[in-house]
Amino acid sequence: MTKPILILGGGPAGLAAAHSLATVGKKCVIVEKEDKLGGAPILSGYAKLVPTGEWAKDAIGGMVARVTDNAHVGIETGATVTSFDGNPGDFTAELSNGSKIEAEAAILCSGFTHFDSVNKPEWGFGTYEDVVTTTQVEQMISSGNGVRCPSDGRKPERVAILLCVGSRDRQIGREWCSKICCTVSSNLAMEIREELPDCHVYIYYMDIRTFGLYETKYYWRSQEEFKVKYIKARIAEVTSDGDKLIVKGEDTLVKRPITIPFDMVVHAIGMDPNVDNPTLAQTFGIDLEENGFVDVANRYGAMGETSRPGVFVAGAATGPETIDDSIAQGHGTAMAVLSSLKDFSKSA
Amino acid sequence: MPIHEKSLIRPENLETHDNLVIDGVDVSGHWSTFIKTRVVSDYNETLQEEISALPGGEEIHRCWQCGSCTNACTVNEVNPDFNPRYWIYLIRMGMESELLRDKDIIWQCVSCNKCTYACPRDVFPEGVMKATAHWLERKGHTPKSPSTHFDEVFTEQVLKTGKIEESRTMRRFFARTKQKLLQPWMIEMVKQMINGLPVGMLTRMGLATLIAPRTSDWSKASAAMQEYIDEQHEKQEQALSLAELVETAKNDVAA
Repeated sequence: MTKPILILGGGPAGLAAAHSLATVGKKCVIVEKEDKLGGAPILSGYAKLVPTGEWAKDAIGGMVARVTDNAHVGIETGATVTSFDGNPGDFTAELSNGSKIEAEAAILCSGFTHFDSVNKPEWGFGTYEDVVTTTQVEQMISSGNGVRCPSDGRKPERVAILLCVGSRDRQIGREWCSKICCTVSSNLAMEIREELPDCHVYIYYMDIRTFGLYETKYYWRSQEEFKVKYIKARIAEVTSDGDKLIVKGEDTLVKRPITIPFDMVVHAIGMDPNVDNPTLAQTFGIDLEENGFVDVANRYGAMGETSRPGVFVAGAATGPETIDDSIAQGHGTAMAVLSSLKDFSKSA
Repeated sequence: MPIHEKSLIRPENLETHDNLVIDGVDVSGHWSTFIKTRVVSDYNETLQEEISALPGGEEIHRCWQCGSCTNACTVNEVNPDFNPRYWIYLIRMGMESELLRDKDIIWQCVSCNKCTYACPRDVFPEGVMKATAHWLERKGHTPKSPSTHFDEVFTEQVLKTGKIEESRTMRRFFARTKQKLLQPWMIEMVKQMINGLPVGMLTRMGLATLIAPRTSDWSKASAAMQEYIDEQHEKQEQALSLAELVETAKNDVAA
């Protein structure tokens, strides 16, 4: 009997990899540190996903259900890997819950950690209740409670979304673009306008990166159909006059300083490397790239190889990634793992 | 002044004092220059809808601020303050007070339409400039321009007679814009006409001036046009909240 593949993390990438492996009859074990599967879209309570508009609990929930009852997929929740020794085809992993897994290979689908806005104190998060993050707004929508100011539960009449919070910011050591926040923010802006048609939504940006096909569907649709306003300004600070939040900055397209009152300010938070990455790197004996994401060793000849043979990586563990690309990488890396275990071309 | 050379601080916001002591500290003179608050403090949320309710402004929401219009602009070449890209942005974002700072140059658009052909998003900037100039007039920020007077004289006459009688158009246009009828070029033109003595033409002109001929059966067509114009005007007045503006003005006067 062959050994299973260890999949670290039960988010979109891990769920996709598990499904792919199980479909071809290969056993795998998902090791998830939280007590349920689904990753960020489920654990952080995302609302409607880009680009399909399906609810996260349906779309990713479906992926969870698909592997949960699959005989080829073992699931260890509430567990982490404490050691990982051996060679390709013959690894032994020890888990925090005491169990041991003999594995032929491992796929790290450990994802990312949401940027903690407390690290940008000038933008008011942690100081003012009505300064929230995109994740919190997702939760307001997915919970069915609607978008409300946390301080007193009122419907906001003016909402400012600040982009690049924890992204493209050398001052706090986050030089990368988190890739999805622009699109997610325009999606949220439309959701807010749909629920609260009298609420004005402003997006403060330095560049808009609704890349690829998102340009029409999110950037332009949010402006043309939903009248969301995009203002090119880097915000200097978010304060309060005791009644409203006050957003200060400079509108760089017209070179004018602005001081504007808002009911709610939303931080479009970026994707940090998973806080566990230094530990993971040590446990699995792999390299991280300069920003702290998992380094991909072979970009063109193979899929998802790390610096250690037999240990693979997929999804946002390698850097900011969309949900659908994470899923694609999960599937692709499952294939790469299979072909690394046996070169079928030689036995044909 | 081109935007990139513009200072964030307007000269009128700088303050120096010849003799000022605050908490025992002497802050007189140039070395203690103060800067007054210099911010846009609110957006007019409806400004974009107001402009797009006027003919020519309909596509303003498409602008992505590439600046092709300003680069192509004939007037911008001679007057760097004439910047369609900038005004379109102010309108879209609702920065009305900033827009009003330029109210006396927006009408300068010469309608060459170079911007119209340069625009990658079919915003129709020339139309937006026209709509903005009209907006300024309708809101009472600028007086009626000569071209608005001309349009009105022209339209009134068409509606009334179905024809254009040039000398009447001219007379009324000059009267309404408070210009002398006997412009030097007109005196010259009349002189030359008399020299050449085109009897037939002068007779026709004279008769037309006296009789003011009408297109036969014009009343129905005229009524239809008038109805359409009234309809459009009412829509525009609603979009621009002109009734409320008049009401506020009345109250202000009463107070």
